[in-house]
Amino acid sequence: MKDKLSREELLHVAELARIELTEEEIEKYQIHIKKLLDDVEKIKDVEGYDEEQLIAPWSENTHLREDKIGEMYDPKEVINRAPKHSGNYIEVPVVVGESEGA
Amino acid sequence: MSNYIPTIGVEVHLELKTKTKIFSPSENGYGKMANSLTNEIDLGYPGTLPTLNEEVINIGIKAATILNCKIRKVMHFDRKNYFYPDNPKNYQITQDRTPIGYDGYVEIEVNGEKKKIEIKEMHIEEDTCKSAHRGNKTLLDFNRAGVPLLEIVTKPCISSSEEAKLYLEKLRELLTYGDISDCKIEEGSMRAEPNVSLRKKEEDPFGTKVEIKNIGSISNVVAGIEKEIERQTKLYDQGQEIVPQTRRYDDKIQNTVLMRVKETGNDYRYFPEPDIPFVVLTDEMIEEAVKEIPMLPDERRRIYQELGVSKLNANKLVQNRPLSDYFNELLGEKINHQTASNLLLGDISAYLNRNEKDIKETTLTKERFIELVNLIDNNTLTSKNLKEIIIPLLEEEKTIQEIMKDNNIENITDDTEIRKIIRKVIEENKDSVEDYKNGHERAIKFLMGQIMKETKGKANPKMTMDILQEELK
Repeated sequence: MKDKLSREELLHVAELARIELTEEEIEKYQIHIKKLLDDVEKIKDVEGYDEEQLIAPWSENTHLREDKIGEMYDPKEVINRAPKHSGNYIEVPVVVGESEGA
Repeated sequence: MSNYIPTIGVEVHLELKTKTKIFSPSENGYGKMANSLTNEIDLGYPGTLPTLNEEVINIGIKAATILNCKIRKVMHFDRKNYFYPDNPKNYQITQDRTPIGYDGYVEIEVNGEKKKIEIKEMHIEEDTCKSAHRGNKTLLDFNRAGVPLLEIVTKPCISSSEEAKLYLEKLRELLTYGDISDCKIEEGSMRAEPNVSLRKKEEDPFGTKVEIKNIGSISNVVAGIEKEIERQTKLYDQGQEIVPQTRRYDDKIQNTVLMRVKETGNDYRYFPEPDIPFVVLTDEMIEEAVKEIPMLPDERRRIYQELGVSKLNANKLVQNRPLSDYFNELLGEKINHQTASNLLLGDISAYLNRNEKDIKETTLTKERFIELVNLIDNNTLTSKNLKEIIIPLLEEEKTIQEIMKDNNIENITDDTEIRKIIRKVIEENKDSVEDYKNGHERAIKFLMGQIMKETKGKANPKMTMDILQEELK
């Protein structure tokens, strides 16, 4: 087993998390994060390990909510909590590129 | 002509017709004041928990059934992780591994031949907030955050832009009828994203796939696919490679433009959503949902045609849901259904369109409509008469007889009376009768004119013509 992540692997993780790292940090986290991953892997050693149990440890149906409108925030409250707003919109610095979501 | 075979797949996102959002009880609404339909869950505040809306599952079952999909009875949700301000909790809750429906199809008719467009899967997920870019800032509206979506993915089995268009039209028709979604592309409640690749021969592996996003209409889906086939053909002809990428359709230049190149495979680090335990569908849940599916378009067309409605009218009726629903109430009635469809699609539609009304908002009850159809069918009312009284028919509570009286419509429908007048006219116009018998077809029109003059236009034209022809034999 390797004792640290490759530089590329670590930089990839940093990029996904949008984190900039110094050379020192890169070296440190190559080891730290690998150790973290190894620790998590140990779950698989548990007797009767079943991936589905990680989704939910019981097989009962999830609670479904009735389709009834509930309480909502006053839009003023919403925009005032944001660092910046423009009219009723929450304002953020311009985002380059497109959403990955739907 | 292109020397390449196009392979097309289409991904469709649909906003579902629920009252509330998928994971929160905030209202699912369109066109409301920005950020007025939110709560702590939609805004992704820490410590909040999603609760799954039962209606989303219900609609998902219906959609899967309508699209001939198999239904997964035990499913869970997954987190798709990415950073972008349209989703402040930094993941989208979706179904990566257990889509609610899979292995389905939609049947289309291409040049008179039936073809099944295969559906790989359909899954449920949440919509992101809406972002608008204005100069150096981006504006966010969270009303859309958490709106339930259904994503429907076809297999790469579509071979032309025409097939893609027919598929999307059929999908829209089916899902609007199934009350799944409004399917309004212009409002964003239906979003279609085709992907295109080319290859030389059927035996070859699929070529490099290019996705097209941001398409605002079905006709632009067609244009986008065609432009992409053109672009890829040119590159291949020049011996170049296709770079995997996402393009968007720009309506202004009517072409696709590069949005981003996919450098590496997406790394969304999907993992099961731990806040929502398994969703287990029971047979009862499925049965209940399926029962709610209204009669679908193809079945409507078939039944209408069996009742004697022309193919053209059957299609037109189905294209107008309120009229088709109205017509469905008349299926068991002993009336001339073709006449009924003509009436609905003709003067009644014209009135409804002019006044932006739904047929349910008029005074034309089912009983009254049946009476009207019969009056027209037995020639008591002419189409000219109908035009004269269409407004009171649809706006007033009076009986049809009263309305006819108000408008001085008293047609002579007693055939003995008409025959008497016809015989008189024949007697007085022997020359014309002679002309007609010698093959001068136009003479009959003159005779008709004389009869109408005698009756002050109150003789039913069709009946009069029939009797006149009989008398002239």
